[in-house]
Amino acid sequence: MRKTLRVARREYLAAVKTKGFIIGLAIAPLFMSGSILAMLILKNRVDTTDQLAAIVDRSGIVAEALIQAAKTRNDEVVFDFETGRKMRPEYHFEVVTPNDEDPVAQRLALSDRVRSGELRAFIEIGRDVLHPQSASADTRIVYYSENSALDDLRRWIDNPINNYLRHKRLMAAGVDSIAVDKILAWYSSEGMGLVSVNKETGQVTDARRAGKLEAVGIPAGMAMLTYMMIMMGAIPLLSSVMEEKSQRIAEVLLGSIKPFEFMMGKVIGGIGVSLTSSSVYVISGVVAVSYLGFADYIPTHVIPWFFLYLILAIIMFGGINAALGAVCNDMKDAQNLTFPAMVPVILPLFVMVPVAKEPLTGFATVLSLIPPFVPTLMTLRMCTPVGIPAWQPWVALAGLLICTIGAIWAGGRIFRIGILMQGKAPTAANLLRWAIRG
Amino acid sequence: MNVVELQNISKSFDSHVAVDDLSLNVPRGSTYGFIGPNGSGKTTTLRMIMNIFYPDRGAIRVFGEPLGGGVSDRIGYLPEERGLYKKMKVREVLRFYGELKSGRTVDREVDRWLERLDLTAWADKKVEALSKGMAQKVQFIATVVSNPELILLDEPFTGLDPVNADTIREAILQMRAAGTTVIFSTHDMSVAEKMCDFIFMIYRGRKVLDGTLDSIKHTYGRDTLRVRCAGGIAALHGLPGVEKINDFGRVQELRVAKTCDPQEILATIISRTRVESFEIATPSLHDIFVRIARPGPEENTHA
Repeated sequence: MRKTLRVARREYLAAVKTKGFIIGLAIAPLFMSGSILAMLILKNRVDTTDQLAAIVDRSGIVAEALIQAAKTRNDEVVFDFETGRKMRPEYHFEVVTPNDEDPVAQRLALSDRVRSGELRAFIEIGRDVLHPQSASADTRIVYYSENSALDDLRRWIDNPINNYLRHKRLMAAGVDSIAVDKILAWYSSEGMGLVSVNKETGQVTDARRAGKLEAVGIPAGMAMLTYMMIMMGAIPLLSSVMEEKSQRIAEVLLGSIKPFEFMMGKVIGGIGVSLTSSSVYVISGVVAVSYLGFADYIPTHVIPWFFLYLILAIIMFGGINAALGAVCNDMKDAQNLTFPAMVPVILPLFVMVPVAKEPLTGFATVLSLIPPFVPTLMTLRMCTPVGIPAWQPWVALAGLLICTIGAIWAGGRIFRIGILMQGKAPTAANLLRWAIRG
Repeated sequence: MNVVELQNISKSFDSHVAVDDLSLNVPRGSTYGFIGPNGSGKTTTLRMIMNIFYPDRGAIRVFGEPLGGGVSDRIGYLPEERGLYKKMKVREVLRFYGELKSGRTVDREVDRWLERLDLTAWADKKVEALSKGMAQKVQFIATVVSNPELILLDEPFTGLDPVNADTIREAILQMRAAGTTVIFSTHDMSVAEKMCDFIFMIYRGRKVLDGTLDSIKHTYGRDTLRVRCAGGIAALHGLPGVEKINDFGRVQELRVAKTCDPQEILATIISRTRVESFEIATPSLHDIFVRIARPGPEENTHA
């Protein structure tokens, strides 16, 4: 154990004493928070150039309503009233008389005007939009532009047009104007958490407004942190062991320590590196979130699980990567094996969003119980505001523990043989045979 | 007492037999030279003594105990190919290796050895800044800094200039004088002859020589004539009873048949040219090595 810890100490110091580690430690959160900041800043960075669209209104009633609605919108949301800064484009409409004799020629002419930049789009309103029971081409509203699928203008016209048509239909049915407004009043639902009761005091706690930070931000942040820590503590062992082997350091060390002690020393060093970085990030994250007034959102009950899962993950992935590094002879071999070694670490990232949105589905539950995915996905599920069954973190822990012991056992056998082997890199079948037979 | 005892050990790698039924005893305080052609099994044998490779058959005892436990902590090992962390400072890497082996701080020993091998000025430089010779001296210090009772040196003089080779040789001799048992492999027969109490030669995995230099030479008898003459090798061709001539330039070694009288050969040479020196000798270790390793006709017998 003494020798293992001595190797671990060297490994740890060699990693954390470098300028790269210290700079990386500072840059990673800056980079991540910078990205979020950039997204927030760029969110309001829209093109504020006014947009003109032509309306070919065969109904004869919609165009005027749309022009009025656009005027109201332009007065209300285009400028920031406090700063006077223009925030959005104004929408303007030009009414074009329908050419029913040759509608295709008219569409072509208007398309050319769009292509030339004179118009943003043109809209055709069907003759019978007021009477939707006659499902035909005459009840359609068609929007033509170069990028109609993503145009904000297209999304915007739906509401004023339909609002106006509903008004007209209700009034035609004999409802007076004031009643129509009441009938069409619209309310959006507010997202809230659940009301809970303190079992000791019996005090009922009100439901809390559900925010994206709590629902997605913190769970995704913790999952990303787990991913980063595994990438920092375990994956580099592959190239590090390969270098020690190719530079013949391994043979010198094996004159003093057993291969398993050597491997475990490196893995423990990796754990130290990850715990150092993750402690810095977790502490600074808690401080930052508390400072911003969201202390209630911090899932403090998950933090011990996070560290426990992380330590086991580093041992498991570290053991596998050290063993793979031991069978490599040069950088090319290491490059070939690095990606397959990273796949089980990367895969959970692809399902992070669906798991965060629906943490109680069978899909999310099964994936988060698969040992290599436990550190990322179980941590993520536990961080969501939805309570997951209490047994699941324990079952995940047991599975992860068994898998970790298996990985270290097999990794140790491969490491012992691979570390002194020279020549052609072994095949997957060789590795399996070494792992089983030793 | 024997420090190392190998009993009928064998080691194979797939179908290749690297060491075949080898037995060897290394007495305490001796200097044992391992010689043999490349790939004959020297390094494999040393690695088995270090417990890096496990023998397929046979038993190894070091200090009277089977390998494992703390036995390897009492052995210093210098591998054939040097391995130092390039990004570490010289002093740090020596402390690391010394502490790993001895389990205690070795700061004083590190400083003493750095001074002894004239490396104090480089103590705080990174290993990558060292020349090859200096790195080799640092590797040697890493081997001996924990004060091992037995040191295994695999080709310790390869690549060293004469000054550094002398420094390392003196250090080895001083350690031996202090009671350390030394085993080293070498391709330099003159070094083996001068330094070793015992010579062990392995060829194709099997032991072919083992004993003191005198006993080995004695088995071959005084069948060698060392001649220096004005006519050089040209004057020595076609001498009756001479089986082989090794030409070293200014000196030639003649291997003579056991039935042949050296005085007759001397008389013949004198009749051809002026003889400057003439010695009836046992064969050199180099000659014995070459005789066993049986070089093909294309291989050079020149020194």
